[in-house]
Amino acid sequence: MTKLDFERPIIQRINAGLPSKYGMSHRLEPLSHIDGTPIKDLIGEFGSPLFVLSESTIRKTYKEAHRAFSSRYPNVKFAWSYKTNYLNAVCNVFHQEGAWAEVVSGFEYDKAIANGVPGELILFNGPDKSTEDLQKAIRNNSLIHIDHFDELYEIIHLSKEMTERPKVAIRVNMDTGIYPKWDRFGFNYENGEAWDALNRIMANKNLDLMGLHTHIGTYMMSVEAYRIAAGKLADLAIKLERKHGHVLKYIDMGGGFASKNTLRGAYYPGTDTAPSFDDFAEAITSVLMSSDIKPDHLPMLILETGRAMIDDAGYLVGTVIANKRLADGRRATILDAGVNLLFTAFWYEHDVRPVQPVSDQTEDTTLYGPLCMNIDVIRGNVMFPLLKKGDQYVIKRVGAYNNTQWMQFITLRPNVVMLDSKGNPHLIRKREVLETINSQEVMPEHLKQFKL
Amino acid sequence: MVKIKKNIAISDSGFVFDPGSGDSYSLNPSGLEIVQLIKSGKDFSAILEAVTEKYEVDSDSFERYYYDFIATLAQLHLTDPDGKE
Repeated sequence: MTKLDFERPIIQRINAGLPSKYGMSHRLEPLSHIDGTPIKDLIGEFGSPLFVLSESTIRKTYKEAHRAFSSRYPNVKFAWSYKTNYLNAVCNVFHQEGAWAEVVSGFEYDKAIANGVPGELILFNGPDKSTEDLQKAIRNNSLIHIDHFDELYEIIHLSKEMTERPKVAIRVNMDTGIYPKWDRFGFNYENGEAWDALNRIMANKNLDLMGLHTHIGTYMMSVEAYRIAAGKLADLAIKLERKHGHVLKYIDMGGGFASKNTLRGAYYPGTDTAPSFDDFAEAITSVLMSSDIKPDHLPMLILETGRAMIDDAGYLVGTVIANKRLADGRRATILDAGVNLLFTAFWYEHDVRPVQPVSDQTEDTTLYGPLCMNIDVIRGNVMFPLLKKGDQYVIKRVGAYNNTQWMQFITLRPNVVMLDSKGNPHLIRKREVLETINSQEVMPEHLKQFKL
Repeated sequence: MVKIKKNIAISDSGFVFDPGSGDSYSLNPSGLEIVQLIKSGKDFSAILEAVTEKYEVDSDSFERYYYDFIATLAQLHLTDPDGKE
């Protein structure tokens, strides 16, 4: 006689709260496959935990975003935001789709060049560009987005020494009606600093003013802010043409589009609240199209959206280490991936699912990572199925910022694989080993020996 | 031996009512089965035997789940504090 499946015994208090017509189901549907490939097999081959990136999701999302803008505006270009995920395989998928590179440091700049991106198709943002970085960018005809006056004067100085003409834009910050107002990057619109900077560039005969750039915030859930920002940049473009007869090549609206992840403390899930690419595109392009910019002078529209482009394509899969009971009786489940790998757990309520089929029983659970640190919490309170030690889990929408902000803390970083369009896994970043870390350290001679 | 408090009402569908606190609870099927075995006066080894015979679970795993479950019952004040395992 075959035995029946056993489920952990549990008892739960029945809380008869106020009925809510918005009440959401607690059932978490298991997710056993990614792009048709069993998660169990991926963990078996590449270990646990494991980052899995879906190439077809990246391409699908890119095409969706591109279509939303290009169907509304004649000249659209996307630039891949390296800081969001600069694994070379990820960057190259975007470059194959036609995206330029958007970088914010010398390191990212070199990464883009090494990936084969032509210098003139690299947008160089960020407040920290060394003299060597600027020289390299000028030599390669890259598009330098100036952040502050010190940088502007350094570029003017370099332009006198070098034969190439620097191609520049300024970064403009402004009040778009949102809080907090991002005013630390670039030149302010309202107090006239941005206009002042543009005039100084125009007065200098060695610099080519190519465009205007803004990056109004991150995880923006309001398209209205983009409408305001696009309007203010269009005003600057019109003033430039009126005063200097100068026609800009591009307007760069930056990124910051919200992804479908749910922010901590949000009442509704991100899948319901995040505006679509069409919403953002409509807000931005309608302002530019109806502005006073002459139709044949409409600048190229550049977008640098990162988060909304890659978040859905990333998964973190792994294994349950243990279950325990907390002092107040709540359940705690310890996962083998913590905030060291999932930095975004600090601001998202990530969608964590079981891999294997589970019963309808759920329990109020805290999901901890494996670190010996109190802050290592993946989900504070979640109605979660009764997973046992050794069961597998998958965390959805982890493609943005985790492969760049992860920490080598307490433990080593795991393998990263990308599933191609047929669902075949390709290792794109090898797991770290002790030697990876130790190879960067140098031991002084007098500390090499010890006796205990 | 663990004892469930005498005044606790437990239905056949796993609904539990504690008249002392007014709280109600629900048991999953395996939880209900174990509570019924406890109520019938069985000790851990007898319950272990009954469960492992019927279900696909090894004795080490069951022991872990059992004591975790009993601790939860105690935390909810559903067991008799005098009863000891």
